[in-house]
Amino acid sequence: MPQLMDKVQFRTALENAIKGKSANKAPFSIAWASGKLSRGHLARWAENHFHYVGPFADYLACIYARMPDRYVDAKDFLLANMYEEEIGGDRHTDLLIRFAEACGTTRERVMDPNNMSPTTRGLQSWCYAVSMREDPIVAVAGLVVGLESQVPSIYRKQTPTLREKYKFTDEEVEFFDLHIVSDEIHGERGYQIVLEHADTVDLQQRCLKICEIGAQMRLLYTTALYWDYVAKELPIEELGLVEPSVLAYERELLQA
Amino acid sequence: MPKIILHRGGTPYEGEVAENTNLVVRAGIKQFPYPNLRYGCGMGKCCKCASRVLNGVEHLPEPNWKEKKLLGHRLQEGYRLMCQLWLTHDLEIEQDAVPLTPLPSQSAAAD
Repeated sequence: MPQLMDKVQFRTALENAIKGKSANKAPFSIAWASGKLSRGHLARWAENHFHYVGPFADYLACIYARMPDRYVDAKDFLLANMYEEEIGGDRHTDLLIRFAEACGTTRERVMDPNNMSPTTRGLQSWCYAVSMREDPIVAVAGLVVGLESQVPSIYRKQTPTLREKYKFTDEEVEFFDLHIVSDEIHGERGYQIVLEHADTVDLQQRCLKICEIGAQMRLLYTTALYWDYVAKELPIEELGLVEPSVLAYERELLQA
Repeated sequence: MPKIILHRGGTPYEGEVAENTNLVVRAGIKQFPYPNLRYGCGMGKCCKCASRVLNGVEHLPEPNWKEKKLLGHRLQEGYRLMCQLWLTHDLEIEQDAVPLTPLPSQSAAAD
């Protein structure tokens, strides 16, 4: 029988729930980090990524509306995250579009929902479903802890490569630089909300489960990017570094 | 654990933070140096978190492209952007009464 965890134990459990299925291990991420993608591949990534992260403030707004009034700090944290995504400085999606344009695609193509893959549409739909239907604390665990808090570690790995191997300029990769800071703030706020308010065994277990599912969803999305856009030009054998167990797990996900 | 001293409005505020901490991230979740550290966008755009380093500069990394672009010659006066720094050692900083503003982009381009 699971027991109620204190905040330190619960945080470790949340981190472990995400860790095993980190998107860092997906073949698309490995190809990216090793400098093997073309600008065309990165353009397809941007065209898909826009539809996953573009509505992030919308997802948070749904959670915000359902968060109980008495959780004032939690509501304020969500509002701050929304503000920063959209109007705190540069709009985050504008920076993504700047990167996309440097990869050779256009604002129109990026914003056109017809250019996202079915898997990206699935991830976006899952995010909407969680934000509208789950207990708001569980939803924060899924979207902010499970998804958003992964971003700094992914971009810390990918951003130096964009400069050194792909030869993008500082301005072109600002989207990645900013998320190393902003998503650390956002992810930490998510942890604070979940650690404070998941105060029953049932809520804690549901938060752990949805973190695991969120990480699976992101891994599924990243994996599909490889198979949809890259695999024909860059066969998996050429990546070399992929762990067989991770690949097997990804194939299971795609077949499920 | 790095010990941080922030001077603002003539008052020193002291606290300890975990290694590899970004002070703006901490303030963003309402932990020390909140509410005394002034910050804004958290993305190296607004300069509101700019602080003059009084002690501990030797442990900081070289300024990154955003700090060079926004702060320019003010780097020589000891200013750094707290949102761009992850701290591993003790640091003593001061924030002015009036926040710095970013250099206009033309002069930034000349830096």
